[in-house]
Amino acid sequence: MKKLRILSLPYISWVCMFTIVPLLIVIFFAITTPSGEFTILNISNVGRYFSVIVKSILLASIATFISLIISYPFSYIISRVGGKTGKIAMMIIMLPMWMNFLLRTCAWMTILEKNGLLNKLLVYLNFSPVNIINTKIAVVIGMIYNYLPFMVLPLVSVMKKIEPSVIEAAQDLGSSGFSIFTKIIIPLTTPGVVSGVTMVFVPAVSTFIISRMLGGGGNLLIGDLIDMQFLGNSYNPHLGAAISLVLMVLILLCMSVMNQFECEDMEGKLV
Amino acid sequence: MIIKRSCLIILSLLILDLHCFAQATAASDSQVGMHRKYINVYNWGEFMSNGSDGLLNVNLEFEKATGIHVNYSTFSSNEEMYAKLKSSNVVYDVIFPSDYMISKMISEKFLAKLNFENIPNFKNIFANFKNLEYDPQNLYSVPYLWGVVGIVYNKNLVQKPVKWFDALWDKDLAKNILMFMNSRDSFGIAQKKLGVSFNTKSKADILNAAEELRKQKKLVQAYVMDEIFDKMQSEEAAIAPYYSGDALVMMKNNPNLDFVIPLNGTNRFVDAACVPANSEKKGWAELYINFLCDPKIALNNALYSGYSTPNELAYTMLPERIKNNKVAYPEQDVLSKTECYVYNSKEINELIDSLWIDIMIADEDNNVWVMPAFIVVCMIALISTNVIRSRLKKVNSKI
Amino acid sequence: MKNNVILRLFDICAEFDGELILNKVNLRIYDKSFVTLLGPSGCGKTTTLRIIGGFEKPTSGKLFFNSLDITDLPPYKRKVNTVFQKYALFPHLNVFENIAFGLKICKFSKKEIERNVDAMLELVNLKGFEKRGIERLSGGQQQRVAIARALINRPKVLLLDEPLGALDLKLRKEMQTELKNIQQQLEITFVYVTHDQEEALTMSDVVVVMNNGQIQQIGSPIDIYNEPQNAFVADFIGESNIISGIMYKDYMVGFLGHDFICVDKGFACNEEVDVVIRPEDVKLLEVGNGRLEGVVESIIFKGVHYEMKVDSAGYSWIVHSTLPKDIGSLVGIDIDPNDIHIMKKMEI
Repeated sequence: MKKLRILSLPYISWVCMFTIVPLLIVIFFAITTPSGEFTILNISNVGRYFSVIVKSILLASIATFISLIISYPFSYIISRVGGKTGKIAMMIIMLPMWMNFLLRTCAWMTILEKNGLLNKLLVYLNFSPVNIINTKIAVVIGMIYNYLPFMVLPLVSVMKKIEPSVIEAAQDLGSSGFSIFTKIIIPLTTPGVVSGVTMVFVPAVSTFIISRMLGGGGNLLIGDLIDMQFLGNSYNPHLGAAISLVLMVLILLCMSVMNQFECEDMEGKLV
Repeated sequence: MIIKRSCLIILSLLILDLHCFAQATAASDSQVGMHRKYINVYNWGEFMSNGSDGLLNVNLEFEKATGIHVNYSTFSSNEEMYAKLKSSNVVYDVIFPSDYMISKMISEKFLAKLNFENIPNFKNIFANFKNLEYDPQNLYSVPYLWGVVGIVYNKNLVQKPVKWFDALWDKDLAKNILMFMNSRDSFGIAQKKLGVSFNTKSKADILNAAEELRKQKKLVQAYVMDEIFDKMQSEEAAIAPYYSGDALVMMKNNPNLDFVIPLNGTNRFVDAACVPANSEKKGWAELYINFLCDPKIALNNALYSGYSTPNELAYTMLPERIKNNKVAYPEQDVLSKTECYVYNSKEINELIDSLWIDIMIADEDNNVWVMPAFIVVCMIALISTNVIRSRLKKVNSKI
Repeated sequence: MKNNVILRLFDICAEFDGELILNKVNLRIYDKSFVTLLGPSGCGKTTTLRIIGGFEKPTSGKLFFNSLDITDLPPYKRKVNTVFQKYALFPHLNVFENIAFGLKICKFSKKEIERNVDAMLELVNLKGFEKRGIERLSGGQQQRVAIARALINRPKVLLLDEPLGALDLKLRKEMQTELKNIQQQLEITFVYVTHDQEEALTMSDVVVVMNNGQIQQIGSPIDIYNEPQNAFVADFIGESNIISGIMYKDYMVGFLGHDFICVDKGFACNEEVDVVIRPEDVKLLEVGNGRLEGVVESIIFKGVHYEMKVDSAGYSWIVHSTLPKDIGSLVGIDIDPNDIHIMKKMEI
């Protein structure tokens, strides 16, 4: 046990230095004025931006939900196929992540613009062009594209742990396709779903590049607002810290709701 | 025993960590070993001739002439530069803020007074670029490059003639208009539309400008900054405000584009070289600034960046077609109608900013369903959590 | 009264990854019988079971269930249930829910389900374990849950894939008896797969010995044991001494330089054959009293008997006897004609 404690020291010091101390600094900034006095005004001012927070949570939820729907069957197929094909499929999913985040989002601008690739294709096929860029839909598409791999990874890992014989046993007992899905696969993959949802929802809620580049500046999300406090015309780190704090609390609330769905002993392990 | 020891280690690491915060290192530190003499220069991106296109590499030339190495880094907005200077502890020796930022930093005692005996080349600067609004006694800055904000538009897509900023409110161009994603710049444009000074202290003027911007929002395709360059070139939008220097390049790339300086006044922006108050190499910084005012150097910088030079001797050395370009060097009567930004007081800034945020976050179309949808989602979450919890309780209790 | 054929495998071939796993397997399984597929690892017994269960499709051939062709029928439509090797219990359900699974699919009422599950729990001696999570069960208990789960649908045929492999000896023996009892009580056909020949001999009505994807012999345990049809079966079942010999004529065989009278006939004159003699049938006598002579090389105490290796004219006999002999002592060897089994030479 002593050895374990010593081994955990690097991590503990890392957590202290780069998680706890910055968190305390953010809280400090949120409850003080530039002159150093304590004030609650920063946090109450966040109330003005409540509609933006709601919009951010809503768009992030939609993006998370769609990511889940898309990745679930795909992850299932990858986990069942296995072998070389499975590995190649995983690599293809991960490939965009090796590219810079800004570049990827920029690429979507090129696709969705009025004269972009999508509209050029639609016109070529004699359809009327669509106006997606600079709308909420574009922001959601950007979120899904950037964060989908984070949904696939935990799902695949949890699905791989489901022994094929468990599924065969279900088939043997008379359940086919759909009921296997609902009775076996969904309950056993719930921990993976919870991880995946967390890993997509949290960055999606606080994103600012996606909403700025694909939303055209008229669809500001809470991340943009925080960004504007630090790099906007008036430098107001106190308000920025206050908004960040409120956002963090809200995300924690959402996460605790999600964690109700997770049961520790419900892993796909075979006894 | 172990706990005590680990506490000690964590504590010392924390102290080290805070010490690190107070002494962030810059690339310059790592290069101290390589070059004994160096200065840290912080400039706009693509703003100093770097040897491409057959032009001089200014920083290299400076090092050749003086033996002082230049650690060159760039920023993309005044706010970014300001935040960096305020938050990090890298000491910059020469910076290039814009007009209003200079006046802000002067008021915050952020800039050092320059010793003009070390900058003899200052005499090369045009008279009407000395003692500008933001630095009335010209104690803190030396103009570097300037330009004006005008309107770039696509001749094929815009039918009516474009003369003033009103064109950006044209209903016929709805959803084809780009605007600046910057409160000061956008407010400035609205103020000019109303015929009011940028630097107005009147609350009423500011509120009126905000109202104009609010009305404009549904006509705007997107609020962007540098993307205007690409979007106009690719004909994504029909009309946008933009800077004269870049506009020249855009017009060269896409002949359908044209640029006009609004006749009733616009913003003349001047980026000037300054020395932060905390620089310890003021002498070398002034040497650098003097070097920049050398006509040949100023000429190269103007040619590279596409912006206009405030250096009279450099101007005479420009090729004829640039000298006579009315976009780069407008006539005196046009120039006299331009204004530089001055830093607004704290209250005005906060007013403008909060009005700007309100305009940005206003969402007419979907406001109706956002709240109800949110409530529904919350209720579903609450109900399902309760159901799950009660089920879990049932299972756990019977074991 | 002969029961009808409940399962018939007709020319079943199975090929995976270019490898031939099953080669024209033909098998008739009678209703209410306990059939064991016995063979070494890789002989194809598990594949045969999985084909019956519907988890694998044969490359060619047909499978009939009560004269109905079910070759292409998916597993959930077959009246066949399986007890898997690693039990494959549903980790997220407790004992009750695991067993009730099959009934829930068929949409039985809550009361019916409860009644049936209780009956099953009684059958497998797990009453009181309803709410237990399966990770808290011992191996034997999980085993029984798996059996109960498979039986609740009242299948006509129960497939068991080496279900007792992970249990200790004592528990295994208990379970063997229990399984046999359940089979007889419920009058269901059991198709049991194992590589343990002792298990096969203990529990089965019919033993099907398989090797290399082909059936080597089908018969009752006694037949398989006493009358192996070829050297493989003889070697696999029990321990055997297999010696090359020549069949001079009916009822006369020669090996190790001596002639012996035997009880087999029907071979060609002077045909080369394999001679199989069980270790417990080799009688050790005083030196000079047997047809053969040998030297005792080693002796191991096996509890039930002593296992001795006796070297005679180059061949090392395996002998089981309750009377030990000293190592190095000379002994005489004799075999009763009834204990000499002749079989055709194994094709290599």
